[in-house]
This record gives sequence, C-alpha cells and structure tokens, in this order.
Amino acid sequence: MGARSPYLAPAISLGTIVGALAVMQGLIAAEIVSPYIVPLPTDILASFERVVVEEGIPGRFAVTVGETLAAGLLIMLVGIPIGLLLYRRARLRTAFEPWLAAIAAAPLVLAYPLFLVLFGRSSLTIIVIGFASGVAPVALKTIEGFASTRRVLIDVSRSFRLTPAQEFWQILLPAALPQIFVGLRLGLIFCLINVVGVEVLINLGGLGQLINDLAERYDLPGTYAAISFVVLVSILFFAILGRGEKWLQRRG
Amino acid sequence: MAAPRFPDYEPTVPVFLAQVTKRFGEGSDALTAVDSVSFTVAAGEFVSVVGPSGCGKSTLLHVIGGLTDATLGSVHVENETIDGPHPAVGIVFQEESTFPWRSVIDNVAFPLELRGVGRAERHAAASHYIDMVGLHGFEKRHPSELSGGMRQRVSIARTLAAKPRILLMDEPFAALDEQTRLLLGDKVLQIQQQLKQTTLLITHSITEAVQLSDRILIMSYRPGHLKRIVKVDLPRPRTSDIVSSREFGAYIADIWSDLREEASRGLSESERGSE
Amino acid sequence: MAATARMTGASGQVDLSVSTIRGVGALVLLGIWQGLALSGFFFRDVVPPLQKIAFGLAALFGNGAFYANLAVTGGELALALLIGGLAGLLVGLLLGGSQLMSDAYESWLSYLGPTPKIILFPVMIMLFGVGSGSKVAMGAVSCFFPIAISVASGVRGVDPTLRRVGRSLQANAWQMFLKIELPAMAAPLVNGFRLGFGVAMIGVLLAETKLSNQGIGFMIINAYTRFDMPQMYALLIVTIAFAAFVNAFAVRLARRFGARTV
Repeated sequence: MGARSPYLAPAISLGTIVGALAVMQGLIAAEIVSPYIVPLPTDILASFERVVVEEGIPGRFAVTVGETLAAGLLIMLVGIPIGLLLYRRARLRTAFEPWLAAIAAAPLVLAYPLFLVLFGRSSLTIIVIGFASGVAPVALKTIEGFASTRRVLIDVSRSFRLTPAQEFWQILLPAALPQIFVGLRLGLIFCLINVVGVEVLINLGGLGQLINDLAERYDLPGTYAAISFVVLVSILFFAILGRGEKWLQRRG
Repeated sequence: MAAPRFPDYEPTVPVFLAQVTKRFGEGSDALTAVDSVSFTVAAGEFVSVVGPSGCGKSTLLHVIGGLTDATLGSVHVENETIDGPHPAVGIVFQEESTFPWRSVIDNVAFPLELRGVGRAERHAAASHYIDMVGLHGFEKRHPSELSGGMRQRVSIARTLAAKPRILLMDEPFAALDEQTRLLLGDKVLQIQQQLKQTTLLITHSITEAVQLSDRILIMSYRPGHLKRIVKVDLPRPRTSDIVSSREFGAYIADIWSDLREEASRGLSESERGSE
Repeated sequence: MAATARMTGASGQVDLSVSTIRGVGALVLLGIWQGLALSGFFFRDVVPPLQKIAFGLAALFGNGAFYANLAVTGGELALALLIGGLAGLLVGLLLGGSQLMSDAYESWLSYLGPTPKIILFPVMIMLFGVGSGSKVAMGAVSCFFPIAISVASGVRGVDPTLRRVGRSLQANAWQMFLKIELPAMAAPLVNGFRLGFGVAMIGVLLAETKLSNQGIGFMIINAYTRFDMPQMYALLIVTIAFAAFVNAFAVRLARRFGARTV
C-alpha cells in the first residue's frame, strides 16, 4: 500500500461536516425538513454573533468554567489524599476500594433533586454534584499510581538508603504522578459533564442554563448556536487536557 | 574439582560471605534459594557469579546488597556485618531503573543531590560520569528518549556517581543484544580499571564472565551453592577482542561443562511440572 | 527475581478483618446519617431518618405505579441500548477496520463523547416529541459514543498474529469474525457496553426528570415536587443500586474475558 496523502483524512473529515451542513441547508430550504424543528445552518451561524453578544456568553462561560474548576480543585484536594491513605493502609484499601469503584460508576447526578434540597438552588449545588461525580476516579487512579510503582525503583531507593520521606517525595510521588494526572483528567471530565448537565436540569448557572433559556424562548437558531458553542468549549477543554497529559506521559 | 574450602577471615577483605543461606517461606513449603555460600572478594577484584536460571544468583546479590536478610550466615562488608544496604556498596539492577521524570544529568547527579551537594558542583561531577559511560551530549535528554542500552548506562553512571568502593551488578546487560553487551562490557571494564572498584557481577553469560572477571564463581542449580571457583588468567587490560582467542574458548568450554549439568537439572525439573 | 515469601496464617482470618472493616465503615456512615437526620439541623424530611427511608422503600415496592413506571423506563432504556449499541457497533467496526476512516473520524468520537449530551435534549424534544421518543433518543445518543470508541479500539487491538493464524488455517471471513476477532475483542466490547449502559441510563432518566409524565425519572422529580422525600430517597437508592449491580456484573464479565484493567 503506497503512502497516503496526509491531507486525505482531514479532507474527508472536513468535507463530511461541510457536506452534511450543505445537505441540511438544502433539505430545510426545500421545506422537506421543517425549519421549526431544525433551523437553516446559515441562520444558526448568523445567530452566533447575537448569542455571544446579547446573551453574555463570556460571562456564562466564566461561570461554567469557574464551577468546573472549583469542583476540580475539590476533587484534587480530597481525592488524592484519600487515594494515598488507601494505598498506605492495605486493609482499608481492600475494604473500600471496591466501594470507590462503585461510586465512580454510579449515576450520582440522578440524585440532583436531593442536592437541590440539601444545598439550595445555587452554584454550591452544582459544584457539589460536580465534585461528587469526579472525586472517586481521582482517588482510584491515585491508588493505582502508587501501587504500580516498579519494584526496582523501591530497590534503588533502598540501595541509596533514602529516608521514608525522601522515598516518598523523590521516588513514589514522581513515579505515581502520570497516573494521578490520568485520574484528574478523568475526574475533570466528569465534573464538566455534570456541571453543564445540572445547569441545564435546574436552569441555573452559565452555559447550560443558556441552552435551557433559549429553548424555552423558542429561539431555535439561538439554541442550536448555544449547543454548538458548548460543544466547541468541551472540545477545547478536552484537547487542552489531552495535550497536558501527553506532555506528562513523555516525561513520566 | 574439590569444593572450595572455608576461607580464612581477613579483616581487609571488602566483601566476605560466611555460610550465607537464604530461604523463602516456612516449613515444607520453604524454598531454599541460596545454600551455605561462602567466599571473599579481594580489593579491586572483579568477580562474576554464573549459574543456571533460578539458581539464586540474584537473591545472593540482594543479600549482599542488604536489600534482604540472610536466613542463616552473615555478610561482612569492609569489616562490618551488614544490616541493610551498606553505604560503600553501589548496586546496578537488572531492570530498567532510571527515573523517567528526571533528565539524564539529574538522574546521575541524584546521589550527590541526596548528600546536599550544590547544583553547579553536582552537575559538573555528574558530567564526568556521563562522559565515562560514553553518553556525552545526552545530559539534557530524558530516559524516554534513549535506547535500553543507553538507559542502563545512565543507571551505571548514577551508581558510580555515589563513588561506591564496592559495586554490585545484577545482570545489568540482560535485556540488551549481544553486540551492545560486548561493548558495554568493555566500558565497564575500562571504568573499573580506572576507578579500581571491587566489583561483583551476576550474569548468566559465560562469555561476559570470562571477558570481564578475575575470578568466576559457579553456582549450582537450586538450592544454589557454590560449585567451583575458576581463576581467569587472561592478561589485562582486556578488550572484547579477547573473545576470539583460544584461551578464552578453553575457559568457556570448561565452565560450560559444569553449567550444562546444572542447567539441564533445571530444565528437567521444570518439565516435571513446577508447583 | 527469586520467589517472594508466602503469607502464613489462614487466609480466612484476613477476609474476616476486611468484612469487619467494611461493616464498621458502613455503621459509621449510617450513624452519621441518622445523627444528622435526628439533629433537626436540616429542614424536616430533607435528611430523613433511616426508618423513614426503609418505610419508603417498602412502600415503593408495594406501589403498583412503581412497576408501571419501571416498565416504561426499562423499555426506553432497552430500546436506546439497542439503537445506540447497534449504531456504535457498526461505526466502531468501520473505524477499527479502516485506518483512513479512523484518521478522519475517530477524533470526532473522542471529543464529542465526553460532551454532556443533556444539552441536546431540547433538540431531541423538537425532533421526537415530548414522549418516550425523545428519551430513547437521548439514551441512544449517549451510549453510541462509548460503544463506538470501545469497538474501534477493540478491533484495532486484535493481535495481528491471531489473524495470521486464521488465514493460515484457511478461515473464511465469517469464521474469522466469529471465532477469532469477536472473542479477541470480547473484553473491550463488554467494557464499552458497560460504559454505554451507564450513560444511557443517565440520559434516559435525566430526560425523564426534565420533561415527562411517566418513567422512574418522572417519579423521582414528582416525589421531589410533592416533597415526599422518603419516596425520592427510595427511588434513588433503587436506581443507583441497580446501576452499581449491572456495573459490577459487567466488570466481572470483562475480567473473565481477559481485561486487565477496567
């Protein structure tokens, strides 16, 4: 098989998007698909500017990202120490690691009415739900990171007669860091998903609420524009996280 | 081929093993890895330990290195009975042991960093050892950018930077191809001759043992006891060219005749089914 | 390296300690809960005492409406998994089998996958109405991504050596797929469906809480608006326990097929 042009794949990718939009435009303009269900792509594009300016996208973006980062900070501050504790205490780990795995897999966001009741209709609820969804993966990956330290590195530490503190800071922690960051990335993703989700559900906050709002106002082009915008923001978020993780993997 | 006599204790000997036995587990399930091994290593001497797989050579090195306790017997390093890793001993491990999160120079400078040496000073010292193992120019790189052989050289340089008077090496070239092994063997020999360290090398390669050593300790199959000690009278300084000489071949044949017996014992035991 | 020492002592003793630790942990958590409930710190039933939750659970299982709503949600979930799963499987096979397709489209999957699907709900309502249709659509869209991603990576992960073995034994395309590729992909496949199940469930239930007049999600939000906290807790416990159970089962299944980490 000969070498393929490096432009072929991106061309297909881009071409599909453009093609799909063109097909949509055609179908809707011909009224085969009702413009009251799916607006013309050109209309959606046109409403982008309006949505950004009039609906205060920058401010809402800040709110959503702020809530996500707040939740992210909490999962780091709580999740990593829990992971470290369970790594150090083998019996606690055997007892509770499965519980953590269950929490990580549980659809905690379903309990959002509960959090509403407990914490009121505020950003706090959103942050807490984000935290609850993201803390377990962080703890689990932290345990995994420390537990998978290669035996030979411990031997090196002993051969250099490192104190327990030195061993932790010089060897255990740097060796575990890549896995811990995998956990943080996973946790942050869960935070973002749940933050935006809850914003839509309880109609409060930043970007999530905007979508809700525009939909209830029957501003179809605006709704689609806002959705596209949130998708773009997510993509950017994950791209940055992915890049950061790759950089760490190279060093780790 | 008489069994080696119990050596006389000489206070100036850097490494002295007295009836070292290492057992794992208890009762009927116990596994004796090393059985009553005694020998000395003289100052500046290069000694290799060869034996079939599973004969306890690595265990022996871990006991000498203080990473695990002997069940019976004692290990004396520089006059002291050891209880944990001795500060004059440096160990090069078989597995990949560089710190992937540190650059080459920070890896090699690690022992100096532990001793509180300042950055400029320890980087200068580390560069010296990096040059010694032939990695000049790679100081700022990370281990992930290097080949396996180069990473092992970093590990060696790091161990050397601690200036150990006694060097223990556990099959350091096991994961490398034959050509790299021979060349690195040359390097190690050069370094040892320069620094005059007492060196104990564990290897399963007879070629390597004969190429590098003054004496070769042949271990039996598990439970590993010392079968024979061979003195290698090839001239020094040696290079890898020596592998083609007739005398070299004679040593190999001699040692192999001992090892074949042990190795086939190991093979048939594993065929009978390992439990 | 030489063999490591084996642990002495009856292993039964170690198990007992772990169960004891878990028991103590559970008791502590329940104790804290009961303490908060009876402290009067929270408004009325916001943190109900454990007895009330127990009664709520009992009442729920005796409630005919529960089973009716369960059937609705179950049906929506099943259909969502079927549609999303099939689509995910096909797309995954396509992307896994063709490097070109993978280069062109797989990044779409990895970027769109983690995006919260709930934002699509208004669109789903417009397209499929306020009934079960939009819920099924939400579930299907949600589970499509993890399944497609897992299948694509599973197909690629099949050891080419195994395929060569098949070719050298003259296996036809169907045999290759059924006897070599599918078993080799079993672990990631199960994993993908496990993740898909989780997000499909979230998608369907959240859609029901947002806008519906039937289903478990509806029951939950209904209990909330009536401030019937014990029933809401009961529903949440049942739902989350079910999700945990399915997840644990799928993890065990994936491990049986040789998954190293889940």
